[in-house]
Amino acid sequence: MKKLAKIPLIALGGATGTFAVLFTVYFFNLDEKFMAYCVDPILQWWYDNKVEHKYYV
Amino acid sequence: MKTVDIVYNTKKKKGETQYGKLFNDGKVRKRREWRGLKDTLYDFSRWLYLWGVVIDVTMSKGAIKGLFRYRWMSNYLAVPHAMDKFTMGMRDETLRITHTAMDFVVKDVAKCIKETLRGDRRCGNDVEFSNKCVLSDENAMTVFMMGFPMLKAILREIPTMFSANIMTQQSTMHYLDVAQRFGIPGDVCPMPEAEAGISIEDDFSVLGKCAVQVNTTCDGSLMGNGLIAKRLEREYGIPTFQLAAPMRHESPDVLDYAAEDMKACIKWVEEQMGVKWDWDAYFECIKRVNATTRMRWSWLEVNSTPYPQFYGAVFSLFNDTDYMGNCGRSADFPPIEKKINDLIIKGYKNKTMQAPEYRHRCIVWGVQPQYCIDQLYWMINCWGVIPLTDMLSMVVDKQFCEENKPENYEQAYKDMAYLNMNMIMRNKTHGGYEVLVDELWEHVERMNADMVMMWEHMSCKALNGLHGQFEDQARERGIHIVWVNHDLCDPRVFTRQQIRDEFSTYMRTVMREEPLDPTIEFLPDEHAW
Repeated sequence: MKKLAKIPLIALGGATGTFAVLFTVYFFNLDEKFMAYCVDPILQWWYDNKVEHKYYV
Repeated sequence: MKTVDIVYNTKKKKGETQYGKLFNDGKVRKRREWRGLKDTLYDFSRWLYLWGVVIDVTMSKGAIKGLFRYRWMSNYLAVPHAMDKFTMGMRDETLRITHTAMDFVVKDVAKCIKETLRGDRRCGNDVEFSNKCVLSDENAMTVFMMGFPMLKAILREIPTMFSANIMTQQSTMHYLDVAQRFGIPGDVCPMPEAEAGISIEDDFSVLGKCAVQVNTTCDGSLMGNGLIAKRLEREYGIPTFQLAAPMRHESPDVLDYAAEDMKACIKWVEEQMGVKWDWDAYFECIKRVNATTRMRWSWLEVNSTPYPQFYGAVFSLFNDTDYMGNCGRSADFPPIEKKINDLIIKGYKNKTMQAPEYRHRCIVWGVQPQYCIDQLYWMINCWGVIPLTDMLSMVVDKQFCEENKPENYEQAYKDMAYLNMNMIMRNKTHGGYEVLVDELWEHVERMNADMVMMWEHMSCKALNGLHGQFEDQARERGIHIVWVNHDLCDPRVFTRQQIRDEFSTYMRTVMREEPLDPTIEFLPDEHAW
Protein backbone atom coordinates (compact mmCIF):
# COMPACT_ATOMS: atom_id res chain seq x y z
CA MET A 1 0.00 0.00 0.00
CA LYS A 2 2.79 2.36 0.95
CA LYS A 3 4.53 1.62 -2.34
CA LEU A 4 1.29 2.23 -4.24
CA ALA A 5 0.82 5.53 -2.47
CA LYS A 6 4.30 6.63 -3.58
CA ILE A 7 3.60 6.05 -7.29
CA PRO A 8 1.65 9.29 -7.84
CA LEU A 9 4.35 11.23 -6.01
CA ILE A 10 7.08 9.65 -8.12
CA ALA A 11 5.05 10.37 -11.26
CA LEU A 12 4.52 13.97 -10.18
CA GLY A 13 8.20 14.37 -9.42
CA GLY A 14 9.16 12.87 -12.74
CA ALA A 15 6.73 15.08 -14.63
CA THR A 16 7.95 18.18 -12.81
CA GLY A 17 11.55 17.31 -13.52
CA THR A 18 10.81 16.64 -17.19
CA PHE A 19 8.93 19.92 -17.47
CA ALA A 20 11.79 21.80 -15.82
CA VAL A 21 14.38 20.33 -18.17
CA LEU A 22 12.30 20.85 -21.29
CA PHE A 23 11.32 24.39 -20.32
CA THR A 24 14.97 25.25 -19.68
CA VAL A 25 15.91 23.90 -23.10
CA TYR A 26 13.05 25.88 -24.64
CA PHE A 27 13.64 29.18 -22.88
CA PHE A 28 17.41 29.32 -23.34
CA ASN A 29 17.08 28.09 -26.94
CA LEU A 30 19.41 25.19 -26.18
CA ASP A 31 17.74 23.02 -28.84
CA GLU A 32 18.59 25.39 -31.69
CA LYS A 33 22.02 26.19 -30.30
CA PHE A 34 22.77 22.46 -30.32
CA MET A 35 21.45 22.09 -33.85
CA ALA A 36 23.28 25.17 -35.15
CA TYR A 37 26.65 24.61 -33.52
CA CYS A 38 26.89 20.82 -33.22
CA VAL A 39 24.65 19.04 -35.71
CA ASP A 40 24.67 21.41 -38.68
CA PRO A 41 28.49 21.66 -39.05
CA ILE A 42 28.72 17.86 -39.12
CA LEU A 43 26.03 17.65 -41.77
CA GLN A 44 27.68 20.35 -43.90
CA TRP A 45 30.99 18.53 -43.70
CA TRP A 46 29.23 15.31 -44.72
CA TYR A 47 27.58 16.93 -47.75
CA ASP A 48 30.86 18.51 -48.86
CA ASN A 49 32.97 15.37 -48.50
CA LYS A 50 30.91 12.23 -48.51
CA VAL A 51 28.10 12.75 -51.00
CA GLU A 52 28.90 12.13 -54.64
CA HIS A 53 27.06 14.21 -57.17
CA LYS A 54 26.40 13.62 -60.84
CA TYR A 55 26.39 17.08 -62.38
CA TYR A 56 24.11 17.33 -65.38
CA VAL A 57 23.06 20.33 -67.40
CA MET B 1 -0.11 63.47 -47.94
CA LYS B 2 -2.73 61.06 -46.65
CA THR B 3 -2.65 60.44 -42.90
CA VAL B 4 -4.39 57.95 -40.64
CA ASP B 5 -5.20 58.17 -36.95
CA ILE B 6 -2.72 56.52 -34.63
CA VAL B 7 -4.30 53.58 -32.84
CA TYR B 8 -3.08 53.09 -29.27
CA ASN B 9 -2.96 49.77 -27.50
CA THR B 10 -5.06 50.16 -24.38
CA LYS B 11 -3.80 46.90 -22.85
CA LYS B 12 -0.49 46.73 -21.03
CA LYS B 13 1.74 44.20 -22.76
CA LYS B 14 2.76 41.24 -20.63
CA GLY B 15 6.37 40.13 -20.63
CA GLU B 16 9.18 41.68 -22.61
CA THR B 17 8.69 44.82 -24.64
CA GLN B 18 12.20 45.28 -26.03
CA TYR B 19 13.40 42.45 -28.19
CA GLY B 20 16.97 43.46 -29.02
CA LYS B 21 18.25 41.63 -25.98
CA LEU B 22 17.18 38.31 -27.57
CA PHE B 23 19.78 38.68 -30.32
CA ASN B 24 23.52 38.39 -30.54
CA ASP B 25 25.63 37.82 -33.64
CA GLY B 26 25.23 34.06 -33.46
CA LYS B 27 23.36 31.73 -35.77
CA VAL B 28 20.33 31.58 -33.47
CA ARG B 29 18.85 33.78 -30.76
CA LYS B 30 20.31 34.02 -27.26
CA ARG B 31 17.06 32.87 -25.75
CA ARG B 32 13.34 32.86 -26.35
CA GLU B 33 10.93 35.62 -25.47
CA TRP B 34 9.16 35.90 -22.13
CA ARG B 35 5.53 36.67 -23.00
CA GLY B 36 3.97 36.51 -19.55
CA LEU B 37 3.16 33.16 -17.94
CA LYS B 38 0.10 32.16 -19.98
CA ASP B 39 1.45 33.02 -23.44
CA THR B 40 4.93 31.65 -22.70
CA LEU B 41 3.43 28.32 -21.63
CA TYR B 42 1.28 28.33 -24.79
CA ASP B 43 4.34 29.01 -26.97
CA PHE B 44 6.21 26.26 -25.09
CA SER B 45 3.41 23.80 -25.87
CA ARG B 46 3.64 24.68 -29.56
CA TRP B 47 7.42 24.25 -29.45
CA LEU B 48 6.88 20.72 -28.15
CA TYR B 49 4.41 20.11 -30.97
CA LEU B 50 6.87 21.34 -33.61
CA TRP B 51 9.61 19.08 -32.33
CA GLY B 52 7.07 16.25 -32.41
CA VAL B 53 6.51 16.97 -36.11
CA VAL B 54 10.26 17.05 -36.79
CA ILE B 55 10.80 13.74 -34.94
CA ASP B 56 7.89 12.17 -36.80
CA VAL B 57 9.48 13.12 -40.14
CA THR B 58 12.90 11.85 -39.00
CA MET B 59 11.41 8.46 -38.17
CA SER B 60 9.51 8.11 -41.46
CA LYS B 61 10.56 5.86 -44.33
CA GLY B 62 13.66 7.13 -46.11
CA ALA B 63 14.12 10.21 -43.94
CA ILE B 64 17.50 9.37 -42.40
CA LYS B 65 18.89 8.44 -45.81
CA GLY B 66 17.44 11.68 -47.14
CA LEU B 67 19.04 13.72 -44.34
CA PHE B 68 22.48 12.39 -45.25
CA ARG B 69 21.94 12.57 -48.99
CA TYR B 70 20.33 15.98 -49.55
CA ARG B 71 21.87 19.23 -48.39
CA TRP B 72 18.47 21.00 -48.28
CA MET B 73 17.29 18.62 -45.52
CA SER B 74 19.67 20.24 -43.02
CA ASN B 75 17.62 23.46 -43.11
CA TYR B 76 14.83 21.70 -41.22
CA LEU B 77 16.97 21.64 -38.08
CA ALA B 78 15.83 25.27 -37.87
CA VAL B 79 12.05 24.74 -37.72
CA PRO B 80 11.58 26.20 -34.20
CA HIS B 81 13.96 29.05 -35.12
CA ALA B 82 11.69 29.94 -38.04
CA MET B 83 8.67 30.03 -35.75
CA ASP B 84 10.47 32.36 -33.34
CA LYS B 85 10.97 34.78 -36.25
CA PHE B 86 7.27 34.88 -36.98
CA THR B 87 6.02 35.33 -33.42
CA MET B 88 8.19 38.19 -32.17
CA GLY B 89 6.19 40.47 -29.86
CA MET B 90 2.97 38.48 -30.16
CA ARG B 91 0.51 37.85 -27.37
CA ASP B 92 -3.06 36.65 -26.95
CA GLU B 93 -5.06 36.03 -30.11
CA THR B 94 -2.39 37.17 -32.59
CA LEU B 95 0.03 34.61 -31.12
CA ARG B 96 -2.57 31.87 -31.38
CA ILE B 97 -3.59 32.85 -34.91
CA THR B 98 0.04 32.76 -36.07
CA HIS B 99 0.72 29.43 -34.39
CA THR B 100 -2.48 27.83 -35.68
CA ALA B 101 -1.70 28.87 -39.23
CA MET B 102 2.05 28.34 -39.26
CA ASP B 103 2.07 25.07 -37.30
CA PHE B 104 -0.35 23.74 -39.89
CA VAL B 105 1.89 24.93 -42.73
CA VAL B 106 4.81 23.15 -41.02
CA LYS B 107 2.73 19.97 -40.76
CA ASP B 108 1.80 20.24 -44.44
CA VAL B 109 5.43 20.68 -45.49
CA ALA B 110 6.41 17.78 -43.22
CA LYS B 111 3.85 15.61 -45.01
CA CYS B 112 5.33 16.70 -48.35
CA ILE B 113 8.85 15.77 -47.17
CA LYS B 114 7.69 12.40 -45.85
CA GLU B 115 5.93 11.53 -49.10
CA THR B 116 8.82 12.76 -51.23
CA LEU B 117 11.41 10.70 -49.36
CA ARG B 118 9.12 7.69 -49.15
CA GLY B 119 8.86 7.48 -52.93
CA ASP B 120 12.40 8.63 -53.67
CA ARG B 121 14.41 5.94 -55.50
CA ARG B 122 17.48 6.80 -53.42
CA CYS B 123 15.77 6.81 -50.02
CA GLY B 124 12.49 5.05 -49.23
CA ASN B 125 12.13 3.55 -52.73
CA ASP B 126 8.47 2.69 -52.20
CA VAL B 127 7.78 1.86 -55.85
CA GLU B 128 4.05 1.24 -55.40
CA PHE B 129 3.66 4.66 -53.77
CA SER B 130 5.93 6.36 -56.29
CA ASN B 131 3.81 5.05 -59.15
CA LYS B 132 0.85 7.01 -57.77
CA CYS B 133 2.81 10.28 -57.72
CA VAL B 134 2.67 13.16 -60.18
CA LEU B 135 5.46 15.70 -59.80
CA SER B 136 4.47 19.34 -59.94
CA ASP B 137 6.24 22.69 -59.78
CA GLU B 138 6.04 24.57 -56.49
CA ASN B 139 4.58 27.58 -58.30
CA ALA B 140 1.71 25.63 -59.80
CA MET B 141 -1.85 26.01 -58.66
CA THR B 142 -2.39 22.26 -58.49
CA VAL B 143 -5.83 22.55 -60.09
CA PHE B 144 -5.08 19.79 -62.60
CA MET B 145 -4.92 17.32 -59.69
CA MET B 146 -8.31 18.22 -58.23
CA GLY B 147 -10.07 15.37 -60.03
CA PHE B 148 -7.44 12.74 -59.23
CA PRO B 149 -8.07 11.82 -55.57
CA MET B 150 -6.37 8.46 -56.16
CA LEU B 151 -3.06 10.16 -57.05
CA LYS B 152 -0.54 12.22 -55.07
CA ALA B 153 0.75 15.59 -56.21
CA ILE B 154 4.38 15.93 -55.12
CA LEU B 155 5.70 19.49 -55.21
CA ARG B 156 9.41 18.63 -55.01
CA GLU B 157 10.59 22.21 -55.07
CA ILE B 158 8.73 23.18 -51.91
CA PRO B 159 10.87 21.31 -49.39
CA THR B 160 14.06 21.72 -51.43
CA MET B 161 13.90 25.42 -52.20
CA PHE B 162 10.86 27.29 -50.96
CA SER B 163 10.26 26.20 -47.39
CA ALA B 164 13.98 25.50 -46.81
CA ASN B 165 14.49 29.24 -47.34
CA ILE B 166 11.86 30.04 -44.75
CA MET B 167 13.96 28.15 -42.23
CA THR B 168 17.40 29.59 -42.96
CA GLN B 169 18.49 32.46 -45.16
CA GLN B 170 21.55 30.57 -46.47
CA SER B 171 19.60 27.61 -47.86
CA THR B 172 19.92 28.52 -51.53
CA MET B 173 23.43 29.95 -51.64
CA HIS B 174 25.18 26.67 -52.48
CA TYR B 175 22.72 25.87 -55.27
CA LEU B 176 22.98 29.38 -56.75
CA ASP B 177 26.74 28.92 -56.89
CA VAL B 178 26.33 25.56 -58.64
CA ALA B 179 24.00 27.07 -61.26
CA GLN B 180 26.36 29.97 -61.90
CA ARG B 181 29.32 27.63 -62.17
CA PHE B 182 27.51 25.95 -65.03
CA GLY B 183 26.94 29.20 -66.88
CA ILE B 184 23.58 30.52 -65.68
CA PRO B 185 23.95 34.27 -65.10
CA GLY B 186 23.64 35.61 -61.57
CA ASP B 187 21.20 38.40 -62.38
CA VAL B 188 18.17 36.15 -62.90
CA CYS B 189 15.59 35.50 -60.22
CA PRO B 190 17.28 33.35 -57.56
CA MET B 191 14.23 31.15 -57.14
CA PRO B 192 14.30 29.30 -60.48
CA GLU B 193 18.07 29.63 -60.53
CA ALA B 194 18.36 27.76 -57.22
CA GLU B 195 15.96 25.12 -58.54
CA ALA B 196 18.14 24.73 -61.61
CA GLY B 197 21.19 24.40 -59.33
CA ILE B 198 19.45 21.69 -57.29
CA SER B 199 18.73 19.76 -60.49
CA ILE B 200 22.25 20.21 -61.87
CA GLU B 201 23.70 18.84 -58.63
CA ASP B 202 21.17 15.98 -58.62
CA ASP B 203 19.79 17.01 -55.24
CA PHE B 204 16.13 16.58 -56.17
CA SER B 205 14.39 13.43 -54.98
CA VAL B 206 13.62 11.09 -57.85
CA LEU B 207 10.12 9.65 -57.75
CA GLY B 208 6.84 9.69 -59.60
CA LYS B 209 5.58 8.39 -62.90
CA CYS B 210 5.22 11.72 -64.66
CA ALA B 211 5.68 15.43 -64.12
CA VAL B 212 3.66 18.55 -64.98
CA GLN B 213 5.69 21.73 -65.32
CA VAL B 214 4.28 25.22 -65.50
CA ASN B 215 5.44 28.58 -66.72
CA THR B 216 4.26 30.22 -63.54
CA THR B 217 5.33 32.42 -61.95
CA CYS B 218 7.14 33.78 -64.96
CA ASP B 219 9.63 33.07 -67.72
CA GLY B 220 12.22 32.38 -65.02
CA SER B 221 10.39 29.09 -64.48
CA LEU B 222 10.81 28.25 -68.17
CA MET B 223 14.55 28.60 -67.79
CA GLY B 224 14.77 26.28 -64.82
CA ASN B 225 12.13 23.87 -66.08
CA GLY B 226 14.06 23.19 -69.25
CA LEU B 227 17.05 21.92 -67.30
CA ILE B 228 14.90 20.01 -64.82
CA ALA B 229 12.76 18.37 -67.53
CA LYS B 230 15.85 17.32 -69.48
CA ARG B 231 17.20 15.48 -66.46
CA LEU B 232 13.84 13.97 -65.53
CA GLU B 233 13.19 12.63 -69.02
CA ARG B 234 16.63 11.61 -70.25
CA GLU B 235 18.19 10.31 -67.08
CA TYR B 236 15.26 9.15 -65.00
CA GLY B 237 12.68 8.31 -67.66
CA ILE B 238 9.98 10.50 -66.14
CA PRO B 239 7.99 12.21 -68.92
CA THR B 240 6.98 15.85 -68.48
CA PHE B 241 4.04 17.92 -69.70
CA GLN B 242 4.45 21.66 -70.17
CA LEU B 243 1.33 23.49 -68.98
CA ALA B 244 1.93 26.93 -70.43
CA ALA B 245 -0.53 29.49 -69.10
CA PRO B 246 -1.04 32.69 -71.12
CA MET B 247 0.79 35.71 -69.73
CA ARG B 248 -1.85 38.33 -70.54
CA HIS B 249 -4.43 36.54 -68.43
CA GLU B 250 -6.73 39.58 -68.31
CA SER B 251 -7.40 39.37 -72.07
CA PRO B 252 -10.80 37.75 -72.60
CA ASP B 253 -9.66 35.77 -75.64
CA VAL B 254 -7.02 33.70 -73.81
CA LEU B 255 -9.35 31.77 -71.50
CA ASP B 256 -10.57 29.36 -74.18
CA TYR B 257 -7.00 28.58 -75.23
CA ALA B 258 -5.95 28.06 -71.59
CA ALA B 259 -8.95 25.77 -70.98
CA GLU B 260 -7.94 23.60 -73.97
CA ASP B 261 -4.41 23.37 -72.58
CA MET B 262 -5.82 22.33 -69.19
CA LYS B 263 -7.94 19.61 -70.88
CA ALA B 264 -4.84 18.34 -72.67
CA CYS B 265 -2.90 18.25 -69.38
CA ILE B 266 -5.63 16.30 -67.60
CA LYS B 267 -5.91 13.86 -70.52
CA TRP B 268 -2.15 13.39 -70.48
CA VAL B 269 -2.11 12.62 -66.73
CA GLU B 270 -4.93 10.10 -67.27
CA GLU B 271 -2.88 8.35 -69.98
CA GLN B 272 0.37 8.34 -68.00
CA MET B 273 -1.16 7.19 -64.74
CA GLY B 274 -3.88 4.88 -66.09
CA VAL B 275 -6.71 6.57 -64.15
CA LYS B 276 -9.82 8.60 -64.96
CA TRP B 277 -10.67 12.14 -63.90
CA ASP B 278 -13.28 12.17 -61.13
CA TRP B 279 -15.76 15.06 -61.46
CA ASP B 280 -17.26 14.38 -58.03
CA ALA B 281 -13.87 14.92 -56.46
CA TYR B 282 -13.26 18.05 -58.56
CA PHE B 283 -16.51 19.74 -57.47
CA GLU B 284 -15.79 18.89 -53.81
CA CYS B 285 -12.41 20.60 -54.17
CA ILE B 286 -13.76 23.71 -55.92
CA LYS B 287 -16.35 24.16 -53.15
CA ARG B 288 -13.46 24.26 -50.66
CA VAL B 289 -11.60 26.80 -52.83
CA ASN B 290 -14.70 29.01 -52.87
CA ALA B 291 -15.06 28.71 -49.09
CA THR B 292 -11.38 29.58 -48.65
CA THR B 293 -11.80 32.69 -50.81
CA ARG B 294 -14.83 33.87 -48.79
CA MET B 295 -12.94 33.26 -45.56
CA ARG B 296 -9.85 35.14 -46.75
CA TRP B 297 -11.88 38.15 -47.82
CA SER B 298 -13.57 38.27 -44.42
CA TRP B 299 -10.09 38.29 -42.81
CA LEU B 300 -9.12 41.15 -45.11
CA GLU B 301 -12.22 43.03 -43.98
CA VAL B 302 -11.04 42.75 -40.38
CA ASN B 303 -7.63 44.01 -41.53
CA SER B 304 -9.42 47.05 -42.99
CA THR B 305 -10.48 48.03 -39.46
CA PRO B 306 -8.23 49.71 -36.85
CA TYR B 307 -7.54 46.25 -35.34
CA PRO B 308 -6.09 43.91 -37.99
CA GLN B 309 -5.55 40.40 -36.66
CA PHE B 310 -4.03 38.09 -39.29
CA TYR B 311 -1.22 39.67 -41.28
CA GLY B 312 2.43 39.40 -42.18
CA ALA B 313 4.51 36.57 -43.59
CA VAL B 314 2.37 33.86 -41.98
CA PHE B 315 -0.83 35.24 -43.55
CA SER B 316 0.91 35.11 -46.92
CA LEU B 317 2.38 31.64 -46.32
CA PHE B 318 -0.95 30.20 -45.23
CA ASN B 319 -2.63 31.54 -48.37
CA ASP B 320 0.20 30.13 -50.51
CA THR B 321 -0.18 26.70 -48.95
CA ASP B 322 -3.96 26.76 -49.13
CA TYR B 323 -4.28 27.85 -52.76
CA MET B 324 -1.21 26.36 -54.41
CA GLY B 325 -0.12 23.22 -52.66
CA ASN B 326 -3.62 22.29 -51.54
CA CYS B 327 -6.03 23.96 -54.01
CA GLY B 328 -9.05 22.51 -52.23
CA ARG B 329 -7.78 18.93 -52.37
CA SER B 330 -7.42 18.36 -48.63
CA ALA B 331 -10.29 18.26 -46.14
CA ASP B 332 -7.81 19.17 -43.37
CA PHE B 333 -7.78 22.85 -44.28
CA PRO B 334 -11.39 23.96 -43.57
CA PRO B 335 -11.27 23.18 -39.80
CA ILE B 336 -8.00 25.15 -39.52
CA GLU B 337 -9.53 28.06 -41.44
CA LYS B 338 -12.50 28.00 -39.06
CA LYS B 339 -10.25 27.96 -36.00
CA ILE B 340 -8.27 30.92 -37.36
CA ASN B 341 -11.52 32.73 -38.15
CA ASP B 342 -12.83 32.25 -34.60
CA LEU B 343 -9.58 33.61 -33.17
CA ILE B 344 -9.69 36.60 -35.54
CA ILE B 345 -13.22 37.49 -34.45
CA LYS B 346 -12.22 37.14 -30.80
CA GLY B 347 -9.08 39.22 -31.30
CA TYR B 348 -11.02 41.93 -33.13
CA LYS B 349 -13.62 42.12 -30.36
CA ASN B 350 -10.85 42.32 -27.74
CA LYS B 351 -8.98 44.96 -29.82
CA THR B 352 -5.81 42.87 -29.59
CA MET B 353 -2.73 44.63 -30.94
CA GLN B 354 0.87 43.53 -31.39
CA ALA B 355 2.56 46.89 -30.73
CA PRO B 356 1.96 49.79 -28.32
CA GLU B 357 0.65 51.81 -31.23
CA TYR B 358 -0.10 51.49 -34.91
CA ARG B 359 1.16 54.70 -36.49
CA HIS B 360 0.79 53.76 -40.13
CA ARG B 361 -1.28 51.36 -42.17
CA CYS B 362 0.73 49.76 -44.93
CA ILE B 363 0.02 47.70 -48.03
CA VAL B 364 2.99 45.48 -48.89
CA TRP B 365 3.43 45.18 -52.64
CA GLY B 366 5.91 43.68 -55.05
CA VAL B 367 7.79 40.39 -55.10
CA GLN B 368 8.44 39.66 -51.47
CA PRO B 369 11.28 37.99 -49.59
CA GLN B 370 9.50 38.22 -46.30
CA TYR B 371 9.74 34.51 -45.65
CA CYS B 372 13.45 34.30 -45.02
CA ILE B 373 13.55 37.57 -43.09
CA ASP B 374 11.09 38.69 -40.43
CA GLN B 375 10.69 42.13 -41.92
CA LEU B 376 6.93 42.58 -41.56
CA TYR B 377 6.72 41.64 -37.88
CA TRP B 378 9.85 43.72 -37.30
CA MET B 379 8.09 46.72 -38.95
CA ILE B 380 5.25 46.45 -36.44
CA ASN B 381 7.46 46.11 -33.38
CA CYS B 382 10.11 48.64 -34.40
CA TRP B 383 8.12 51.34 -36.17
CA GLY B 384 4.43 50.69 -35.43
CA VAL B 385 3.70 50.13 -39.12
CA ILE B 386 1.02 47.47 -39.55
CA PRO B 387 1.07 45.50 -42.84
CA LEU B 388 -2.61 45.11 -43.72
CA THR B 389 -2.05 42.73 -46.59
CA ASP B 390 0.54 41.85 -49.20
CA MET B 391 0.46 41.32 -52.94
CA LEU B 392 0.81 37.56 -52.70
CA SER B 393 -2.26 37.26 -50.48
CA MET B 394 -4.46 39.03 -53.05
CA VAL B 395 -5.24 35.85 -54.94
CA VAL B 396 -8.56 35.20 -56.63
CA ASP B 397 -11.66 37.06 -55.53
CA LYS B 398 -14.29 35.30 -57.59
CA GLN B 399 -16.43 32.27 -56.87
CA PHE B 400 -16.29 29.30 -59.21
CA CYS B 401 -19.01 27.00 -60.48
CA GLU B 402 -19.81 24.37 -57.85
CA GLU B 403 -22.72 22.45 -59.35
CA ASN B 404 -21.77 18.97 -60.43
CA LYS B 405 -23.60 18.69 -63.76
CA PRO B 406 -22.23 17.63 -67.16
CA GLU B 407 -23.35 20.97 -68.68
CA ASN B 408 -20.96 22.68 -66.23
CA TYR B 409 -17.88 20.70 -67.26
CA GLU B 410 -16.78 23.21 -69.94
CA GLN B 411 -17.08 26.03 -67.41
CA ALA B 412 -15.09 23.92 -64.95
CA TYR B 413 -12.17 23.67 -67.42
CA LYS B 414 -12.29 27.46 -67.80
CA ASP B 415 -12.34 27.88 -64.03
CA MET B 416 -9.31 25.60 -63.67
CA ALA B 417 -7.54 27.53 -66.42
CA TYR B 418 -8.41 30.81 -64.70
CA LEU B 419 -6.99 29.58 -61.39
CA ASN B 420 -3.84 28.36 -63.11
CA MET B 421 -3.27 31.67 -64.92
CA ASN B 422 -4.02 33.67 -61.79
CA MET B 423 -1.60 31.82 -59.63
CA ILE B 424 -0.30 33.67 -56.56
CA MET B 425 1.90 36.65 -57.43
CA ARG B 426 1.67 36.02 -61.17
CA ASN B 427 -1.89 37.33 -61.13
CA LYS B 428 -0.32 40.72 -60.40
CA THR B 429 3.14 40.59 -62.00
CA HIS B 430 1.66 39.53 -65.33
CA GLY B 431 -1.50 40.61 -67.04
CA GLY B 432 -0.80 44.28 -67.53
CA TYR B 433 -0.44 47.35 -65.36
CA GLU B 434 -4.12 47.31 -64.42
CA VAL B 435 -3.57 44.35 -62.11
CA LEU B 436 -0.17 45.47 -60.84
CA VAL B 437 -0.58 49.23 -60.47
CA ASP B 438 -4.28 50.16 -60.55
CA GLU B 439 -5.33 47.39 -58.18
CA LEU B 440 -2.77 48.50 -55.61
CA TRP B 441 -4.55 51.85 -55.25
CA GLU B 442 -7.91 50.12 -54.97
CA HIS B 443 -6.60 48.15 -51.99
CA VAL B 444 -5.02 51.28 -50.48
CA GLU B 445 -8.40 52.99 -50.68
CA ARG B 446 -10.46 50.07 -49.42
CA MET B 447 -8.16 49.22 -46.52
CA ASN B 448 -7.53 52.85 -45.56
CA ALA B 449 -3.75 52.63 -45.93
CA ASP B 450 -1.47 55.66 -45.85
CA MET B 451 1.68 53.84 -46.89
CA VAL B 452 2.90 51.28 -49.39
CA MET B 453 6.06 49.26 -48.88
CA MET B 454 7.30 48.34 -52.35
CA TRP B 455 9.56 45.37 -52.46
CA GLU B 456 11.96 46.03 -55.33
CA HIS B 457 13.35 42.65 -56.35
CA MET B 458 16.42 43.63 -58.29
CA SER B 459 16.30 40.51 -60.49
CA CYS B 460 12.60 40.78 -61.34
CA LYS B 461 12.29 42.38 -64.74
CA ALA B 462 8.48 42.18 -64.60
CA LEU B 463 8.16 44.84 -61.92
CA ASN B 464 11.23 46.98 -62.34
CA GLY B 465 9.89 48.50 -65.55
CA LEU B 466 6.94 50.03 -63.71
CA HIS B 467 8.96 51.76 -61.00
CA GLY B 468 8.28 55.20 -62.45
CA GLN B 469 4.52 54.59 -62.71
CA PHE B 470 4.34 53.63 -59.05
CA GLU B 471 6.26 56.77 -58.04
CA ASP B 472 4.10 59.11 -60.14
CA GLN B 473 0.83 57.63 -59.00
CA ALA B 474 1.81 57.52 -55.31
CA ARG B 475 2.69 61.20 -55.57
CA GLU B 476 -0.70 62.02 -57.15
CA ARG B 477 -2.52 60.21 -54.37
CA GLY B 478 -0.40 61.50 -51.49
CA ILE B 479 0.60 58.00 -50.41
CA HIS B 480 4.00 57.32 -48.89
CA ILE B 481 5.83 54.73 -50.95
CA VAL B 482 8.84 53.13 -49.31
CA TRP B 483 11.13 51.30 -51.74
CA VAL B 484 12.97 48.37 -50.23
CA ASN B 485 15.49 46.50 -52.36
CA HIS B 486 16.28 42.81 -52.12
CA ASP B 487 17.36 39.81 -54.14
CA LEU B 488 14.79 37.35 -52.83
CA CYS B 489 16.53 34.28 -51.47
CA ASP B 490 20.12 35.42 -52.08
CA PRO B 491 21.09 37.20 -48.84
CA ARG B 492 24.54 38.10 -50.10
CA VAL B 493 23.28 40.86 -52.40
CA PHE B 494 21.16 42.66 -49.80
CA THR B 495 21.56 41.55 -46.22
CA ARG B 496 18.69 41.59 -43.77
CA GLN B 497 20.10 44.67 -42.05
CA GLN B 498 20.45 46.53 -45.34
CA ILE B 499 16.81 45.75 -46.06
CA ARG B 500 15.76 46.99 -42.63
CA ASP B 501 17.97 50.08 -43.01
CA GLU B 502 16.15 51.11 -46.19
CA PHE B 503 12.87 51.12 -44.33
CA SER B 504 14.32 52.79 -41.23
CA THR B 505 15.97 55.51 -43.31
CA TYR B 506 12.59 56.46 -44.78
CA MET B 507 10.95 56.48 -41.35
CA ARG B 508 13.65 58.71 -39.88
CA THR B 509 14.28 61.11 -42.76
CA VAL B 510 10.86 61.47 -44.38
CA MET B 511 8.43 60.58 -41.61
CA ARG B 512 10.69 62.15 -38.92
CA GLU B 513 9.79 59.42 -36.46
CA GLU B 514 11.67 57.58 -33.74
CA PRO B 515 11.36 53.79 -33.37
CA LEU B 516 8.98 52.27 -30.85
CA ASP B 517 11.66 49.72 -29.97
CA PRO B 518 15.11 51.14 -30.79
CA THR B 519 16.82 47.93 -29.59
CA ILE B 520 15.78 46.15 -32.78
CA GLU B 521 16.53 48.91 -35.27
CA PHE B 522 19.95 47.29 -35.78
CA LEU B 523 20.12 43.52 -35.39
CA PRO B 524 23.37 41.54 -35.68
CA ASP B 525 21.83 38.75 -37.78
CA GLU B 526 23.97 38.74 -40.88
CA HIS B 527 25.28 35.26 -40.06
CA ALA B 528 22.10 33.98 -38.47
CA TRP B 529 20.04 31.21 -39.87
